[in-house]
Amino acid sequence: MKRYGEHRFPGKLFVVEGIDGSGKSTQLMLLHQWLQAEGYGTVFSEWNSSPLVKETTRRGKKKQMLTPATFSLIHATDFADRMEHNILPLLKAGAVVLCDRYIYTAFARDVVRGMDPKWVRDLYSFAVRPTGAFYFRVPLDVAMNRILDGRTGVKYYEAGMDLGLSEDEEESFRIFQGRILEEYEKMVPEYDLTVVDATLPIEEQQIQMRQIVKARLAQAKRLRVAP
Amino acid sequence: MRETYGVVLPDMKLADLTGKLIVIEGTDGVGRSTQINLLKPWLEQQGRAVLETGMTRSSLASKGIKQAKEGHTLGRITLSLFYATDYADRLEHEIIPALRAGFVVLTDRYIYSLMARAIVRGIDPDWIRNAYNVALKPDAVFYLRIGVDDLIPRVVFGRGFDYWEAGMDVHPSEDMYESFRKYQTALLQQFDVLAEEYGFEVVDASANVRAVFERLRDGIARVLSGEPREPLFAMARPQEQTEQSAGSKVVESPAPGKAAAGGE
Repeated sequence: MKRYGEHRFPGKLFVVEGIDGSGKSTQLMLLHQWLQAEGYGTVFSEWNSSPLVKETTRRGKKKQMLTPATFSLIHATDFADRMEHNILPLLKAGAVVLCDRYIYTAFARDVVRGMDPKWVRDLYSFAVRPTGAFYFRVPLDVAMNRILDGRTGVKYYEAGMDLGLSEDEEESFRIFQGRILEEYEKMVPEYDLTVVDATLPIEEQQIQMRQIVKARLAQAKRLRVAP
Repeated sequence: MRETYGVVLPDMKLADLTGKLIVIEGTDGVGRSTQINLLKPWLEQQGRAVLETGMTRSSLASKGIKQAKEGHTLGRITLSLFYATDYADRLEHEIIPALRAGFVVLTDRYIYSLMARAIVRGIDPDWIRNAYNVALKPDAVFYLRIGVDDLIPRVVFGRGFDYWEAGMDVHPSEDMYESFRKYQTALLQQFDVLAEEYGFEVVDASANVRAVFERLRDGIARVLSGEPREPLFAMARPQEQTEQSAGSKVVESPAPGKAAAGGE
């Protein structure tokens, strides 16, 4: 089993990371459209989406029966299913795979929930190293305003309510996201994440992202797929 | 105080876990559940409160694992992690509360079966050990050991071959008998490695049900009476071990295997 290895498959893997409200999903969507227009065989893979494991995760969340340990393990299970049955075969087939959140999300959340940082990292050591990992850096207040504007409420685990940080959901969410932000910042040098200033205009962020992606796609043999 | 294999989970309080955690390990069809069905009433007659638990019985993950296995579509890493989720849920919601309440927790298999299965499927042994670093060290592991030649008739004339117990996911092209034989042989070899590493007490499971039961009963009685047991805590708690040994006579010969305190 390889450990967080550089993969040798013809495909390419790009991932976006950042706290809720950092705008990472918007950027990934724009990148996806562009790559498709450029003729690359591009596939989008979402965090927490394995059909096999989804039901268990949903149940655990709904009944609020997840502890930091089971929260961590069930998400690792979900990720493993996507890695084994989705991401790896696609990379072997030469696709450009785009992930909205990757292992760094788990590292941030699980460590904030009190899990041992080394244990969590070892747990995910079967994951391949992305071709590019973008971290959308945004001040907490900016992200909070974006989130709370557009939504009616925050879910229990999303707000970190299981940690007992505050009885007030919005307050708990703020503290929780602040701690996740700290974990992301630690990972920037550790995993050489590409930092994007997420307070810049959307177009400007996208231009930066495309430049980097383009350079890394050019290094590989061109694997254009007819749209 | 109790110990884990290296990593303590958040909010896990290891003090005051006064109960006893007893593991019955062994391969598929070796007679674990038969023995547990005898041991539980015996323990209850001794006035002990008993919690029985086993793999895939968690309220969180049991349904998901069963459904996923029906399709035979789980990858080996995914399956390993699903089992680890099931274990962690039972550890936190069943095993630890029961130990705190002073129960004897009798578990049909433990992390060792899961490690053995993962390793024979090509999973990195260090990776799977790390995943179970969060596990609680038991008071005793009784390993029902059997050779594959003794095992096969029990399965054939018992419940028959099962897809997973025959390792059909590992040797898909072969017939079930050949696959079972190969897979179980590899599994038993792996169990022997783990027996030494984790200091299992080995019980010859080719003997008749009554003889096996008596061995287990005597072994468990010794654990419950607080006599020092070899070898699980021998290295981890040298001081207390010496005190206890001085106070009581050690009648039993130490179980085979080196005194690996488990984990790293």
